Amino acid sequence: MFARVRWILLVTLLVLLTATLGVSAQTTPDADTLVIGQSVDVASLEPSLVGSRAESNIFGHLYGTLYDISSDGTLVPFLANSYSISEDGTEWTFTLNEGLTCHDGEALTAEDVVYTFQRAANPENAFTGNTVGFVFPSVGYVDARAESDLEVTIITDRAQSEPLRLGLLSEVYLHCKDYYESLTLEQAAESPVGSGPYRFVEWVRDDYVLIEKVDPEAAGFSRIVWRVIPEASTRVAELIAGNVDIVANVPPDQVAAVDASGIATVQAVQGTRRMYVGFQFSEAFADSPGWEAIQNTDVRVALQYAIDVPTICSTLLGTECTRASSMVNPPNDNPNLVPYPYDPALAEQLLDEAGYPRGDNGVRFEMVLMGPRGRYLNDANVVQAIGQYLTDIGVQTTVEILDWSSDYLPRVREKNVGPMFFLGTGGSTWSALYDMADLSAPDAGTNYTNWQNAEWFELWDATSGTTPEEERELINQMLEVFYNDPPWLLLYFQPDFYGVSNRIEWQARRDEQVIVTEASLLP
Amino acid sequence: MMLAYIIRRLLQSVIVIIGVTLLSFLTLHLAGDPTYLYVSERASEEEIIQTRQRLGFDRPLPVQYFSYIGGVLTGNFGNSLRARQPAMELVLERLPATLELTLFAMAISTLIAIPVGILAAINRGTPFDGGIMLFAMFGQSIPSFWLGIMLILFVGLGLRALPISGHVPFLEPLFSGNFQLAASNAPETLRYLLMPAITVGVFSLSRNARLVRSAMLEVLSQEYVTTARSKGLGEQIVIVRHALRNALIPIVTMIGLEFGFLLSGVVVAETVFSWPGVGRLVFNAITQRDIPLVQAAVILFSFLFVGLNLLIDIIYVQLDPRIRLQ
Repeated sequence: MFARVRWILLVTLLVLLTATLGVSAQTTPDADTLVIGQSVDVASLEPSLVGSRAESNIFGHLYGTLYDISSDGTLVPFLANSYSISEDGTEWTFTLNEGLTCHDGEALTAEDVVYTFQRAANPENAFTGNTVGFVFPSVGYVDARAESDLEVTIITDRAQSEPLRLGLLSEVYLHCKDYYESLTLEQAAESPVGSGPYRFVEWVRDDYVLIEKVDPEAAGFSRIVWRVIPEASTRVAELIAGNVDIVANVPPDQVAAVDASGIATVQAVQGTRRMYVGFQFSEAFADSPGWEAIQNTDVRVALQYAIDVPTICSTLLGTECTRASSMVNPPNDNPNLVPYPYDPALAEQLLDEAGYPRGDNGVRFEMVLMGPRGRYLNDANVVQAIGQYLTDIGVQTTVEILDWSSDYLPRVREKNVGPMFFLGTGGSTWSALYDMADLSAPDAGTNYTNWQNAEWFELWDATSGTTPEEERELINQMLEVFYNDPPWLLLYFQPDFYGVSNRIEWQARRDEQVIVTEASLLP
Repeated sequence: MMLAYIIRRLLQSVIVIIGVTLLSFLTLHLAGDPTYLYVSERASEEEIIQTRQRLGFDRPLPVQYFSYIGGVLTGNFGNSLRARQPAMELVLERLPATLELTLFAMAISTLIAIPVGILAAINRGTPFDGGIMLFAMFGQSIPSFWLGIMLILFVGLGLRALPISGHVPFLEPLFSGNFQLAASNAPETLRYLLMPAITVGVFSLSRNARLVRSAMLEVLSQEYVTTARSKGLGEQIVIVRHALRNALIPIVTMIGLEFGFLLSGVVVAETVFSWPGVGRLVFNAITQRDIPLVQAAVILFSFLFVGLNLLIDIIYVQLDPRIRLQ
């Protein structure tokens, strides 16, 4: 009896081992295929529903746009080769390249561009993606019309900074009318036909998206596989095993392991996401401890000196960084502004002068600092560190870490967070005004601090319809206002870590986009 | 008699499922307004209001719930807010992958636990028994997340013996009638399944081994086992026919509950091993507050769980004629 049971166990083990041994576990990509590991899948293949960076990475290869944003932030022609602006600045006419086609062979003309814009804006389609949810309201989109086969005019309700509008319109994915008109929305979301350098081949939900190059002679890999690998450690293991060529969001504590593998290396880039601590000005917080103190500009300036940002970067984010001097990404920021240095003694002196000396218990005033967990790189630990720095200079800080999606995000959007709160908002490499649009109006949805500096908003209104030189001057003035009456405790631009296989040549971008049309196999 | 019992249980299960949907609905809504997850970072207040209306979150909660239940009764489980596709279709699409993982993990935990538990019981007090119980203790103590990562590091990356992550479908082509593809995929499916299934199943394997051991020890001390031995029956017959059959009742109960436990446990393994199953789908749906998708999965899982427990009740009768369905 015992012998038989043991025999059964042995056979079971042998069957399992036979299944594993002798068969290579390698799924190393071939020379024509590039494999990219992303943490999340696309939710849909509908171009007007794109709302996340993981989605725009894939759609950026499938669909063409009027202009393109290069890795250094320059706006370059793509499906359009030029544009002109009406006298009042509200109508922009783009000239398309000749001979454009969508992937099904249908010619892409001005009529298709009009269709793209009108389809996205059609309320019956109820799209909630980046195009209709962000681009259209940001440019004041009204309508589009075809002037000829190759000329299309985008009509807006206002004049706007040229690079800002051009960059925003460059986020709209163009598609052909006949194909999309023939499909229901559900069908369109399953089988996209684009106009970019790669065409769609297959999507297995939560597993991978496969795309292939349209022009075999063009640069870049023939096939790109976007694999969904949610867990960061697994992405790194796949990279080191040689099964994946590029992975985003390598955890800082695994950078050394990747670099030591000999298979891949990590590229750390200073991203464009602005990380800051907001000072809440809403009177709804008047009863909260510390709120009254931070209404004082001198106090907010003093607190800037209390935080050792380079140390936070090197110890908690795993990389060196330069402290931000404004809300604008370099090189579009004001070069005359110097980042606040870490000088706790000066911070204490300024707080004394502002009328907030230490009490008998060493405390100047109490403060609540809120922050999320799991949204930004090492966010909860960064918030804890900031809380300790503030406590060290006598601002007794209570740190409250909240769940991002259920608690923190709704609070932020309802401007019901603070009196101090940690946040990161996306920025750009191509327009200072894009970065500054968080504070485009006193009641702007993204003015989470409810900052009401009249001088800033007057200068913002003055930027419409100015020459590039005048605009630059106004931007510099505004950033000085921001620097001297800070609504944010300025921190850093969030670093991004990309693991890149040593078999390929590819350079990570600052704007969180993974664009691989230029990637190539190393000899 | 049995038919009446089954009908009564099915009616009870409808009440259970409605209760589960109500609880999950309230929990998701109590966690805050989901609208903010469906608008861009720079959406204006007007756009947020429009989106809220479009998604139907501006209506009172009872109206939202009864409207949803009304849809369910007509077979309409709603569309996923994020994917804009029928929610139940999305869940059913992922179900084969989760079933592969769950059933294989159950198979591992049961088929290994029963003989190991029996061996430990009949070798009570020996080093073999001690070793098995030590392993079982570790198996119940190790967090599955950590175990998954360790398997990836040592078996996947170190030995290169098994794939680190990913999935080759077996049940999906099988269910769709493509038997040839299913058969050709089977060896690869097994290789991709092993590490995630071990991650999911180790806790259950350990618990079941302990359970089988203690159930066998209890039965082996019964007088009828002594009687069977004194009649001169061989040890094999005593163990299998007299002891094991009676020890199986608590084990079968545990296996029934195990299915629900494993279904909830696959979320971790599906995430760690990039397994495209329902667990990950639901996890993402919860974080994105995709309420129709979560509800569709809850209803499906409730049906599976209730159905399996009904099946277990019926198996009881076959195992022990003294049990009657009432």
